[in-house]
Amino acid sequence: MIPMAEDFQGANGNIQPGRYYGHGLPYLPIEHYPGKIIAVEGTDGVGRSTQIRLLREWLEVQGYGVVETGWTRSALMQPTIELAKSSNTLNKLTFVLLYATDFADRLEKEIIPALKAGFVVLADRYIFSALARAGVRGVDRPWLRSLYGFAIAPHLVFYLKIDVDTLIRRVLSARGMDFWESGMDLKGGDDIYDSFRTYQNKLLREYNSMSDEFGFRVLDARRPVDVIQEDLRRQVQAFLSSSDIGVEGPENSTRQLG
Amino acid sequence: MGKKKNSLTPTTFSLLHATDFADRQLYNIVPPLKAGMIVLADRYAYTAFARDVARGVDRRWVRDLYSFAVRPDLALYFRVPIDVSLDRLMARRVKLKFYEAGLDMGWSQNAQESFRIFQGKVLDEYDRLIDEFGLSVVDASQAITDQQQFVRGLVSRQLERPTLVETAVNQ
Repeated sequence: MIPMAEDFQGANGNIQPGRYYGHGLPYLPIEHYPGKIIAVEGTDGVGRSTQIRLLREWLEVQGYGVVETGWTRSALMQPTIELAKSSNTLNKLTFVLLYATDFADRLEKEIIPALKAGFVVLADRYIFSALARAGVRGVDRPWLRSLYGFAIAPHLVFYLKIDVDTLIRRVLSARGMDFWESGMDLKGGDDIYDSFRTYQNKLLREYNSMSDEFGFRVLDARRPVDVIQEDLRRQVQAFLSSSDIGVEGPENSTRQLG
Repeated sequence: MGKKKNSLTPTTFSLLHATDFADRQLYNIVPPLKAGMIVLADRYAYTAFARDVARGVDRRWVRDLYSFAVRPDLALYFRVPIDVSLDRLMARRVKLKFYEAGLDMGWSQNAQESFRIFQGKVLDEYDRLIDEFGLSVVDASQAITDQQQFVRGLVSRQLERPTLVETAVNQ
């Protein structure tokens, strides 16, 4: 193995919202962009997408321009990732790199242009879900943080925290357990319930350990949807009103990027 | 996929090549090494270090990215001036490839001019790699038979080293 330098700069340590975590993209300087990144993190089935939809509506009513971004939505990588998932030919390292490529594509083509134009970027999962999933699969954590050193530290990261028992009941009553969300690729056995419980427990531990590392704002996701949303809006409001972002929004606030 | 639409950025270009390398290492590099065979790699991580940095990605980031790569026992760098490589490419093919000529960087609309600028940066990066990674330099402007003789000498000395298992077979 080619050893990694000890003083590498990655997605950890010195975090300044709106700046690159690590070395960043030397060819894309991003200082003083007016837009903001608000990330909502949490495991599958925790209610992330619902909260983001409600938050978006509220922000737009207030006059902010909003752009949404989420995993595997990049034009470049979506077909490839879907193919890889269905054909089961990739190992964990190649999966991690494909996801990183998807993120990089969205960062350069959606997120950075939106920040430059003064939008609020709502990220339905940011780099942390990718870090958690890869960490659970045994991929080297310092390497992962170096890999995502080109990511921009969000201004706010909300973590929807839930316990595994509540999660299981919620997932089962909504749509059932999915192969990947149950970590069936880890081959811990044929029982999807047992696999889901073991996998999600490990995943939740990864998220919890990142909470301090990346400064998550923890929201108790066991509460009713409207109570969580109220909490979310209060914190977002406090942040945006103390920031330099304009409530008039950018020139065309209904513009869709990407 | 991405290449056809000319839509790769320097970072997604770099990451896709790293993905491809990770896949090849898993299937084509590690198994033969474990079987005691010799793996001949036409380009390795050093290509990425030179090419991706010439495109503007961070030097340290791309080195960290490839820290999962097996370090080669011998790395040969065939060094050639830009004019010679351009002449050779022109003799073989009519059209320079989009990314090979660095046309994605927008430095020049003219493929040959773009190639000259881009490959100039690539060669500068390779020169850094020689000492950093101990690459063995082969003067590639020499006659092929002379180069081959020199390379065989380097490889023979490498194979005589006691660190390599004696059962290694040439495939």
